[in-house]
Amino acid sequence: MKHLLVTLFLFISFLGFGQSVSAPDSKSFIPSANGQDGSGFVLSGFGATETLLASISLINPSTGTTFYLNTTTNLIAASGFTLSGNKTRLVVTGTMANINTALESLKVNTGSVVGNVQLSVAATVNPIGFFYNGVNGHFYKPITATNERTTYTNARSRSLLTTFKGQTGYLVTITSTSEEEFIRVNVPATNVWFAATDEVKDGTWVIDAGPEKGIVMKTANGQLNGNIPGVYNNWCGGEPNGSNGSENYAVAKWNGAACWNDLSNNWSNPYVIEYGTWTNPDDATFTEFYTNSVTHSNGEVLRAAFNVDFGTNIDETKFSAKGYTYTNNNWNVVNGTARQLSGLGKVDLTSLLDTAKVSNGVRATTTSGQVEWCVIYEYDATNQRYRVGIDSREVNGIVSQPSMISSLQLFDLWNGPVTFNSYDSNGWTEVYIYTATQFNFSGSSFAQNIRAGNGFYGLQAEFTFSPILAYKPHGMELTHSNQTELNTLYNSIVGVSDVYLAFKELADGGIFGNQTGLGLTNGIQYLNADVDGNGIFNESDTYKLLQHLTGVQSLSQSTALTYLMKLYNKSDYDAITTSNWGTKFNSTRNLIPFTLGSLNNTYNINVTWLGDVNLSHSAQQSVSAVSGNSIRSMSVMSNSITNEVNVIIMSEIVGNTIIVTISVDPLQQELVGTQFQLNYDNTKLKFEKVEFTTKGNPTNFGTNKGSFINIGSLLTSGDVLDKTTEYRVIFTPINNTTDILGLTSISTTDAVNKAGKQLKVIIK
Amino acid sequence: MEIEPTPPPAVQKIFSVKESRVTDGQSIHFDLPSDGVYTLTLIDKESGNVVSRERFTGKIGENIKKIYTNSLQSQYLYLLLQDVTSKEIGKTTIITK
Repeated sequence: MKHLLVTLFLFISFLGFGQSVSAPDSKSFIPSANGQDGSGFVLSGFGATETLLASISLINPSTGTTFYLNTTTNLIAASGFTLSGNKTRLVVTGTMANINTALESLKVNTGSVVGNVQLSVAATVNPIGFFYNGVNGHFYKPITATNERTTYTNARSRSLLTTFKGQTGYLVTITSTSEEEFIRVNVPATNVWFAATDEVKDGTWVIDAGPEKGIVMKTANGQLNGNIPGVYNNWCGGEPNGSNGSENYAVAKWNGAACWNDLSNNWSNPYVIEYGTWTNPDDATFTEFYTNSVTHSNGEVLRAAFNVDFGTNIDETKFSAKGYTYTNNNWNVVNGTARQLSGLGKVDLTSLLDTAKVSNGVRATTTSGQVEWCVIYEYDATNQRYRVGIDSREVNGIVSQPSMISSLQLFDLWNGPVTFNSYDSNGWTEVYIYTATQFNFSGSSFAQNIRAGNGFYGLQAEFTFSPILAYKPHGMELTHSNQTELNTLYNSIVGVSDVYLAFKELADGGIFGNQTGLGLTNGIQYLNADVDGNGIFNESDTYKLLQHLTGVQSLSQSTALTYLMKLYNKSDYDAITTSNWGTKFNSTRNLIPFTLGSLNNTYNINVTWLGDVNLSHSAQQSVSAVSGNSIRSMSVMSNSITNEVNVIIMSEIVGNTIIVTISVDPLQQELVGTQFQLNYDNTKLKFEKVEFTTKGNPTNFGTNKGSFINIGSLLTSGDVLDKTTEYRVIFTPINNTTDILGLTSISTTDAVNKAGKQLKVIIK
Repeated sequence: MEIEPTPPPAVQKIFSVKESRVTDGQSIHFDLPSDGVYTLTLIDKESGNVVSRERFTGKIGENIKKIYTNSLQSQYLYLLLQDVTSKEIGKTTIITK
């Protein structure tokens, strides 16, 4: 048995199946620019040690469009080519690995002409004794051995008896300067028969073989006499002369010269057999000859610029943007350096986009296990079909319309066409598989991946689609440069006034956030107050907000910005109201999808934050865009603070401790919430505790955040804080010191009055 | 040859200049008119808010104190020296970072 398996393996190896050339997705080049990435072609399936022949070509390139290879290690240029320099066609030999390395380094130079840039790569195992002409994509076999030399007519007939890679041979024709040069260089002989004769009518020379057979080359003997314009002639001086009335056949390389002569059929000469009837190498149909091409565009520069509105109090320059594409059911970052936002919240991701278009017959890559990608219902024997349901999210990024699903591969059960049936707004797409044979689910080799349900089977699928040509879905991700800074920022984004507003809203009966005329006047406030993101604002949310404020569990404990940031297209943001906020996209995200349309795309993005109930750090809605929102009152509440409270800070050394006293004077305010961020130098001070002097039994908090203490009070009982309010923050010095100026400092502050108005804190 | 002694460099008094650049832990020199309790205050020039204040007991004549900048989030600050009655003794700008 073992021998049998080995034999079988060797037999399969000998067959050598699986060779291919894969091409990259199409992309857009910039006109008149050198060194643009043209990589993406990959040879596969060839033996590692085999010498391959590979041809790289630009098809009908416009002026100025060339390519070059940055890496050509261990490659040999075919006759007539050099490895270095810009070119439109190159034929090389080398191993698969070396050729792939070179293809990965392929760069394209574009001219100013806007249009297509078609790149083609062909590869085959390099055949011994044959030469490949990269210009026309033909193979040539020189017959030069003395015992194989023969007359013209024999050469002509013998050539027709040969085949190579599925193509019938013919006596070589020479129809261009480049082909002449190719013959001259690669055929190590002189006086080489090629397919041209005037045997029918003296002086009227015609091409005598191949796809051009019968084309008249000239109508009179003599080097230039009767030459047909546009038809290649290259006769030596005084030739052809039809000497003796029997010189009816042509030879190239006459006596070693790069020109032709006519000879009689009694000469025994070398000859060349040509294989291939096409003029474009990309039309080659050789067997075991693998080719692929891609058509890029030159001039379609996709631009994507973003105006990100953070509102106030956010330093946009701390944020960077990355480009993503949605492929294979995942967001994948586009290579390139993330770009920092300007101080105006602007960023341009041009050239960070994947400009490849989704092309014909794209197959989604699925991963085995874990997920049912589609559902197959019971066989409909009447109609001889299966109804298959697909969650359309599975094909996001692959098709722009679910109706474009044209075929499915369902493991080894089915790999063929489907008929679109229906699509509903919930994203459920159904197609039919028409088959007279029922699937054998239990007999499938992938039975372990197929889950039987009640009247259906759940399983994975791969999808192919009807022809489409659209840009992949993209996404723009915002990231913050420094997680520590972000945590500190979040301490100010969600402050005591946010938490109080949320509690006040509950106290006012605003539970569920779908009533009007309460404390929160803007749908986005509810959206942000709903910190658990379940579409309902209730006690659970206020509890979480209080936990954040008091340091029990910070909302920003996760390091992922995606759990804090809420990005919306401006139009969507403006459309959020107190009535519909719960039905709007209620998840946080720092990656916002966008669809490339025209070449120049500008997207206006608004930012709001989880827990930013008073919208002090969020973009404002456009007043005119939403009639149902009381934006103006919200604006007054969050941004036009006219009421103040006074605070005095004093630090002094008392014994072995350093005491920082923060004294609050509410002035005329009914103060119900205070918050201070007291920074300290943790290399020189050790935090000990906070002592509170407050009236009204508030929730006091003094949380050590490592480099600052978050201190304050929140009263939700109806009482207010008075001017006896004082916080004594006690540190001990790590080393003895007599100087403390600057060891502690106040930065962010917040205060709120009983009406829910955010107050300005004046530190005197 | 006898070498003429070089006098030590004069110490710049912090309140005698309009503006100083300071680093963490740097000593600042200033004169006080009498013994007593004083305050040194750092004020954010942009917001006008006090960010840090130290109360200390000083002596008449030159005093030396250290200033720390690691916890300060502002780069441009006023440094204000006041006596116990809040009378301004000196004021200057300091630049951190």
